[in-house]
Amino acid sequence: MTYAPYAQKRRFAVFKFFQRMQPGFIVGLTILSLSLILALFPSYIAPYDPNAFDFNAVQSPPSDLHWFGTDSLGRDTLSRVIWAYSVNMQMAFLATIFSLLIGVTIGALVGYYRGFSDVVFGRCVDAIITFPFLVLVIAVVAVLGPGLINMYIAITVVGWVYYARLMRAEIMAQMANDYASAGKVMGYSDSRIIFRHLLPNAITPVIVYWMTDMALAILLGSSLGYLGLGAQPPEAEWGVLIAEGRNFITTAWWLSLMPGIAIVITGFGFSLVGDGVADLLRPRG
Amino acid sequence: MIPTFFLVMIIIFLLVRLLPGDPAIAMAEAKATEAQIEILRERMGLNEPLWTQFFIFVRNVLTGDLGQSILLKAPVATVIIERLPVTAFLTIYAVLFSIIIAGPLAAIAALNKNKRADILIRGVFQIGLSTPVFYIGLLLLTFLAAFLRWFPVGGYGQTFWEHMYHLLLPALTVALYTSAIIMRNLRSSIIEVIDAEYVQFARAKGLSEGLILWRHVLRNALVSTVTLLGLSIGNLMSGTLVTETVFAVPGVGRLMLEAIFARDYPLIQGLTLTFAVLVSIVFLLTDMIQSWLDPRLRPS
Amino acid sequence: MKTVLFAAAAALSVGIITPTLAVERGGTLTFARYDDSTLIDPVYADRNPDIWMVSNLYDTLLRTEADGKTVVPGLASQYKLSDDGLTLSLTLRDNIHFSDGTDVEGKDIVFSLNRAKNPELGPWAGLLGSIDSVTADGKNITIKLKNPDPTIILMMATFNTAIVSKDAFDAATGATDQEKAQAISNADPVGSGPFVLKSHQRGSSMEFVANKHYWRQGEDGKALPYLDGIDFVVIPDDATRILKLQAGEVNAAEFIPFARVAELKADSNINMELFPSTRIIYSPINTREKTADGQDNILASKEARQALNYATNKDALIKLILHGAGKPVTSGLMASTTQLATGTEALYKYDLAKAKELAAKAGIKPGTEISLTTLAGSADDSIIFTALQQMWSQIGVKLSVEQVDGATRGDKNRSGDFDIHTYGWVNDVNDPAQVAGWLGYYPTRKAVGTGWNNPEFNSLYEASNKEINPEKRAEQYAKMQSLYAEEAPLLFMYETPFAVALDNKVKGYVQTPLGSNEFSSTWIDQ
Repeated sequence: MTYAPYAQKRRFAVFKFFQRMQPGFIVGLTILSLSLILALFPSYIAPYDPNAFDFNAVQSPPSDLHWFGTDSLGRDTLSRVIWAYSVNMQMAFLATIFSLLIGVTIGALVGYYRGFSDVVFGRCVDAIITFPFLVLVIAVVAVLGPGLINMYIAITVVGWVYYARLMRAEIMAQMANDYASAGKVMGYSDSRIIFRHLLPNAITPVIVYWMTDMALAILLGSSLGYLGLGAQPPEAEWGVLIAEGRNFITTAWWLSLMPGIAIVITGFGFSLVGDGVADLLRPRG
Repeated sequence: MIPTFFLVMIIIFLLVRLLPGDPAIAMAEAKATEAQIEILRERMGLNEPLWTQFFIFVRNVLTGDLGQSILLKAPVATVIIERLPVTAFLTIYAVLFSIIIAGPLAAIAALNKNKRADILIRGVFQIGLSTPVFYIGLLLLTFLAAFLRWFPVGGYGQTFWEHMYHLLLPALTVALYTSAIIMRNLRSSIIEVIDAEYVQFARAKGLSEGLILWRHVLRNALVSTVTLLGLSIGNLMSGTLVTETVFAVPGVGRLMLEAIFARDYPLIQGLTLTFAVLVSIVFLLTDMIQSWLDPRLRPS
Repeated sequence: MKTVLFAAAAALSVGIITPTLAVERGGTLTFARYDDSTLIDPVYADRNPDIWMVSNLYDTLLRTEADGKTVVPGLASQYKLSDDGLTLSLTLRDNIHFSDGTDVEGKDIVFSLNRAKNPELGPWAGLLGSIDSVTADGKNITIKLKNPDPTIILMMATFNTAIVSKDAFDAATGATDQEKAQAISNADPVGSGPFVLKSHQRGSSMEFVANKHYWRQGEDGKALPYLDGIDFVVIPDDATRILKLQAGEVNAAEFIPFARVAELKADSNINMELFPSTRIIYSPINTREKTADGQDNILASKEARQALNYATNKDALIKLILHGAGKPVTSGLMASTTQLATGTEALYKYDLAKAKELAAKAGIKPGTEISLTTLAGSADDSIIFTALQQMWSQIGVKLSVEQVDGATRGDKNRSGDFDIHTYGWVNDVNDPAQVAGWLGYYPTRKAVGTGWNNPEFNSLYEASNKEINPEKRAEQYAKMQSLYAEEAPLLFMYETPFAVALDNKVKGYVQTPLGSNEFSSTWIDQ
C-alpha cells in the first residue's frame, strides 16, 4: 500500500522525462549507445584481426570483403576503425574523469573555505588559463614522452582547473542558500555539509560540462594521436589511423576518410547528448 | 597580473625539470660522448641548485634572453620573432574569415528562427564543432589543393598576396571552428534584440528590418563577439598550431612541434612562454576594446 | 673516303647523341627538403641537413667520385703521401677563386685545416687527430702527421676539411670563431663551392645561387654549375612534400617514404631515384653475461644470437618495410658501399632448420622471453616488431615489445638495460674506421652498447688505424668483418637507399652514399 503512490509518481516522472527529451537527444543517445557497444565488444563485431598483415590484399579499395578497404600492410580498415572505438571511447572517459574528480574536490573545498586557499587557487587558475590548452598539454606530453597514459596525465594536469572553477562558483552560490547555514547551526561536520548537502545541489552544471568535455577529449586525443604525441602505432586509434593514411591520401583515400567519419559521428553524438542533458536539467520556469 | 606571471614562469621552469632523468642526456645526440654531455649540462646550468637555476631563468627571461635553440642553433628569441608574423597573419586572417562566415549566417538563422534554414545552419555548424581541426584541414588540402589544384599545397609564399593565397585554406580551416562559436552567439544575441520591446517599437514606427538590425543589433553583437573571440584566443591558437602542421606553414605552431620532436627544451620553454604572453596580451586588448565599445563597462 | 665516312659518323653521332647528352644551362631548381640546415659550415655542421649541403658551398682539396670511394683531385691538382706515411704533400690548382672573386691561396688552406682540427671548435676534430702541422709555400701544401694515418687522404675529401676564406673570417664580426661562421653565413657568405648561399629563412626556405667564379668545368666546356640557382623549401611532412611535387610546385622531393616509391615510379612525369647509401638498419643485441636486472642473459651465447639471425627472414622484412627498395646487409660491420666492405652474400640467409638447431644448442626453450625495445611512434619499428614476433616464435622465442622515446632508447643503450633494440647508422666519412669503431670497437661505446668486448677485434681495429699499406689494411678489415659476422653482436637487417623523386626535367642530380646532395652537375631540361 505504502509503495503505490511512490511508484506511480515515479512512473509519471520517467514518462515526463522522456517526453521532455528533444529528438536531437534521442539521436545522440542512439549514437553513443552504438559506439559503446562497438567499444565494448570489438572482437565480436570486427570482421578481421586489426593488426593482421595480408599481403595479398594491400591497399585494396572498399569491397565486399573489406568494406572500408585495407592499408599498405593489408590490414582491414573497418576492423581497425572498430577496434579504435574502444581506445577512443576510453579516451573520452579517462581523459576527463580525473580532471572531474580532482576539480570537483578542489573547487568544493576552495568554494567552501575561501580565504587564503581561494587566493592561491585564483592565481593558479589565472596562470593555467593563460596558456592555450593544447600548447600546455603538448608541452607536458613533450616532457613525459608520447603515449596514451602520459596524454591522460597531461590533460588532467591542465583540465582540472575548468571543473574546479565551475564547482567553486556553484558551491558559493549554494552557500547563499539557507540550508547551508542551517547545517552549520546544526553542528554538522564540514565534510558532511560539503559532500552531502552542497555537492549534490551544485553538481548539475559540472555534469553538463563533463558531457561536452568528453566530446572535446575525443577531438583532443585524436589530434594528439595524429600529431604523433598520443596513442602510438600499431595501436588502432582514429587520429593515428588518419595519420597513417595521410601518406596515401591521393591513392588510398579510404584510409584517412573512414576514421575521420567515426570521429565526427561520435563527437556529434556526445554534443547532442550534452545539449540534451543541459536541456533536461535546466530548471524550468 | 604580476603574481600570475610569476606562476606562469614557475610552470614553464618546472616543465623541463619534470623530465625523467637527466635533461642533458635526453637532449644529446646518440653519438655524443660523456664529455660532450657534461659540456651541455654546464651550458644549461644544470649543475647549479634548483633555486639558482630558477633565479637565472627569470633574470634571463626579463632581459629577453630565452636561451639558445639546440635545433636551430640560434637564440630562441630570434627564432620566435622570425616565425611570429606568419602565425599572426594566419590568426588574423582566420578571425576575419570567421566573422565573414558567421555574420550573415547568424542573421539568416536568427531571422528564420526554428525554421528549416536555421536548423540546417545550426546542424552544419554542430557537425563542424565535432570535427577535429586536422581532419578539416586534411580534407580541404586533399580536395581543393591536391585534386582540384585550386590552391598551393601548403607553404607561405613571399609577398603579401602570396601569403593571402597560400594561407587561404589554413585560415579557412581555423575559421570553421571559430565561426561556429561566433555564429551560435550572434544568433542568440540577434534573437534577443529582435524580441526586445524597443525593437518592436522601432518596427512599429516603420523602420526597415535592415536598419533595425544595423542600429540595434550591431553594437551589442560586436561587444559579445569581441569578448568571445578574446576568450577563445587559446582555442584559436591551438587550432593554428595543428593547422600549421597540416599545411606546412612555417609559423610558431609548427615550430613548437618541431621543437618537441627534436627535444629542444629551451625552444619549447620559449615558445610556451610566448603563447602565454600572447594570450595575456589578447585578454588585455579584449578588455580595452570592450570598454571602448560599451562605455557601461568602463571603470568609473 | 675515309674522311667522308668519319664526317658522316660524326654527323650521325651529333644527330643521335646530342639530344640526350647536351646539357642545358640556366634555370632555378626548387627542391623540397625534409628538414632545414642550421649552419652550413665545414666545422660546425653536425646534423645531416647541414653536413649534406657543405659540398655545394665549399670545395675540398680532394674529392670522391659519385660512388664515394674513388679519390680524384679537387682544389689540389696533385697529392702524394710520403713512404713513411708521415707527410702528405698537395699542390693547389691554378685559377681557383672564392665566390667573392679572391684567389684561394695557401693561407686559406692552412686556416681551414687548422680550424678543422681544433678540438675546441667542431665535433669532427677527432677525425684529424693525426695532423701535427699544416704549412703552405706558394701552391705547395705540406701536412705533417704525428703518426701514420691511413684515413688522411680520404679525410681531405671529406666535408669537414672543406676550404673557407681566411679573409672572410678575419673580416667577419663576432668574438668567437662560431659567431664569425654564423655572421658569414647570415650576412655575406663567401665560399669555394659551386654555389653561394643567398638567403635563408630559418626552418622554412633557403636560396643558393651559382658561384660565378667556380673552377670545375661541365660537359660543355664551361664552368659549373649549370643551374642559376636552387630554392629549397622545408616540408617535414612526407605526404605534403610529395603532393607539392605532384602538383608541380617543386622540382624534387627528398626522403620519399618507401611505401610510396612504387606509386611514384609508375608516374610518368616523375623520375623516382633510389641512390645507394651507407645507411644500415640493425639491432644491437645485449651480449653481457647478466641482464640489467641481474638475470643470466641467454643472448650472451653466440649460438643464441646466430639462431635469431637465421630465424629472421630479411627478404620479408625488406618487402614489408621498404616495399622491396633495399637489400640485406652483406658485411656485418658496414654498408656494402663503404670502402673495404667485403662480402657479396646476404649474412645469415633465412634458414629455419639451422636456426632451430642453434637455438637448441643455446638452450632456447619454447616460451623463452626476449624483449625488443622500439622507438615509440615509429611505424617501421612497429612493423619490425610484429614481423620478428611472428618469425621468432618458430624457434620458441616469445618476443615482447617495449616502446620508448629516442632519449630513453639512448639511455638504455648506454647502460645496457635492453635485450635487443632497433637502431640505424649512416657514415659521415668515407673511411670505414668510423663505422667499425662505432659498431665493434669496445672502447668507443661498448660496441654500440652491446657490451661485446672481443680482444682480437679490438687489437685488429687499433692496428688498422695505423696501417698505411692499403692491402694490409684491407686484410685487417676483412678479418674484422668475418669475425664480427660470426660473433653476431647485432641482428643484421638491411641497407636502405636514399629515395628522391624528381620531375622528369631534372637531370644529373646525385645523392652520394654518404648522403651529400650534389647539385653541381644538375641541370633542367627546359
